[in-house]
Amino acid sequence: MNKEAAQELMLKMADDALIYGHRLSEWTGIGPILEEDIAFSSISQDKVGHAWQLYQLLEEDFGMPGPDQLGFGRKENEYKCCRLNELYTRDYAFALIRHFLMDHAEFIRYSLLRASSYEALAQLAKKVRGEIKYHVLHADTWVKKLGAATEESHSRMQAALNEAFPYALGIFEPGPLEQELIDTGIFIGEERLQSEWLDEIRPIIEESGLQLPATTDAAMGGRSGNHSSDLADLLEEMSEVLRSDPGANW
Amino acid sequence: MEKSLDPRIARLNIQRNEEGASPIGKHEYGESFEVFVQSRRGKQHVHAGTVHASDPGMALIFAKEQFGRRQHCVNMWVVATSEIFAFQYADSDMFETVPEKLHREPGGYKVRDKIEAYRKKISQQKADKS
Amino acid sequence: MYGGGYIPGQENEKPDQFQEDPVKLKEFEDRIARGEKIEPHDWMPRGYRKQLIRMIEQHAHSEIIGALPEGTWITRAPGFRRKMALIAKVQDEVGHGQLLYNAAETLGKSREEMMADLLSGKSKYSNVFNYPAKTWADVAVIGFLIDAAAIVNQVANSKGSYGPYCRALERICYEESFHLKQGHDAFVALATGTKKQRAMLQDAVNRWYRPIIHFFGPPDVASVHTEKLMRWKVKMMSNDAMRNQYLSSYVPKVRELGIDFPDPNLRKNADGTWSFSDPDWDEFKRVIKGDGPCNKERLAVRKWVETEHRWIREALFNPNAKYTLPLS
Repeated sequence: MNKEAAQELMLKMADDALIYGHRLSEWTGIGPILEEDIAFSSISQDKVGHAWQLYQLLEEDFGMPGPDQLGFGRKENEYKCCRLNELYTRDYAFALIRHFLMDHAEFIRYSLLRASSYEALAQLAKKVRGEIKYHVLHADTWVKKLGAATEESHSRMQAALNEAFPYALGIFEPGPLEQELIDTGIFIGEERLQSEWLDEIRPIIEESGLQLPATTDAAMGGRSGNHSSDLADLLEEMSEVLRSDPGANW
Repeated sequence: MEKSLDPRIARLNIQRNEEGASPIGKHEYGESFEVFVQSRRGKQHVHAGTVHASDPGMALIFAKEQFGRRQHCVNMWVVATSEIFAFQYADSDMFETVPEKLHREPGGYKVRDKIEAYRKKISQQKADKS
Repeated sequence: MYGGGYIPGQENEKPDQFQEDPVKLKEFEDRIARGEKIEPHDWMPRGYRKQLIRMIEQHAHSEIIGALPEGTWITRAPGFRRKMALIAKVQDEVGHGQLLYNAAETLGKSREEMMADLLSGKSKYSNVFNYPAKTWADVAVIGFLIDAAAIVNQVANSKGSYGPYCRALERICYEESFHLKQGHDAFVALATGTKKQRAMLQDAVNRWYRPIIHFFGPPDVASVHTEKLMRWKVKMMSNDAMRNQYLSSYVPKVRELGIDFPDPNLRKNADGTWSFSDPDWDEFKRVIKGDGPCNKERLAVRKWVETEHRWIREALFNPNAKYTLPLS
């Protein structure tokens, strides 16, 4: 197994899960409907939990710093999340569309990883795939419902899709060690993931009365640590208490 | 509004609006659905509570987290509350069992005495023959 | 969380506001005396229904408003364990609100009406959520000391007479016991931590002391109305009895950590009751009425939630849906 390549893959997956989970938690307690508040919050906890498990694996297998240091203690350009996840929004349509685009990619990624040559990662993928299956069902239910319900809900969802789609293409930005990942059987590769993802989301979007944007422009950079200012703000906030008394036990 | 201590709230940039009609119309929170949870294969589905939702599909995704997040489940049902038929509590005296209905209770059948008497009789007969 | 022992508005109720059929009333009271529960479509005195709606509704509001002070620290919780635990806890509060709104709805008031009454200020909620959560230590104090107070109240109420409320409270109490452990854990971490952490915790305890004393409501005054609510098992314990039970259990747990309450007169008497300095009951009344440090923000946030997402409710709305009260 190529350790550096596996590390690169897991770090971006962990960062994706943490930053995305954090964004979801911004809705806990102020979600649009009580029942939805609860459901979205569960998804948030699942994501933060996935990040935690991945960081733990990075510590155990690769000797990286522990989850709290890795998750809360790096500089902005050391995070490898895609740019879709770092965007701040107060618009629930955007939150739902991001959830839809991201979780379809997550579900396929984790499904494919069940066959990874890196056994620990394959085990983890088998364990968390069920949770992501629910996340996808949740997203699909909402997108189908709101895409076609009223003129307003349709136009809000379409606008969110148009805005989010280039960022979603950035999910599949390959890292420097992409070819090694493929060659050593750790992961099948971002290109394959993207094509399966498009096959999955296209019919659902059509069924929802929405239109898949024609653009192929992808918002790249996240995988190499190039982020928007939203991520810097998020990280500063997330680590505020930890930084207030370094070395303390919380 | 004064800046909130919650950065999440501060970002919402809420303009305080004290006047104005209630933003909530009649029946906007949807129908109620009753939720039934099966904790393990082989067990029955048991009523767990209610969710408000627009349709059964939505009710299921809500029910899963509101009634399944803390207990182990293998399956769930939802059904619109309006589709459930129930007796009235005022008629609950219908369910009171009178003591004469012993034919429905296991305690109403006492065969052991008869078997014992029969066995005694047979062994007596055997003893008499020999 | 958090019904509080005190039901605003109860003091304005006249004991014999409604004339009830004496035969039905006797049947109803006999049933409660036998320890049986009342279920949604049972006959019940109007005063009973009214009081229960008010109590359960206020309890529900307290849950969803209670999600806000703790939510203040969701995005800043220190480390993975605290982060996941806090999201889960605030989620539970919303979940409790959901259960309680359903329970109240079985009595005939829709969730929409309850939410509208909350936003207009007509319905009240517990005093404690109108105070700010200024530092991370506030999360520990709320999670330990406020949740503990809520448990005293909710365990008592779970033995009340109305079936749906009891069922909701059983589950709520189960989840609260997890909150209390988690709150105690966060509290102990700060109390046994660095100088800075201890100072932060003591400061938070100082600020929350008075709202905690207020939480169970003003000292008991004997009234015919209270006597009737006790007989109907709507109110299960008096304000003072709950407060004394709470202080007996939790003051020692705080003091053993070298943290104290900012009241030299706080002490247990020989008869098991507690004495404390005058906590300014006028402040309590002002806060309940809407004039606390955070009332305006709390309601503005809930109003934002409802206004901002109206498009979602409209999109989901099915004009042919049959409105039915939840079954149980």
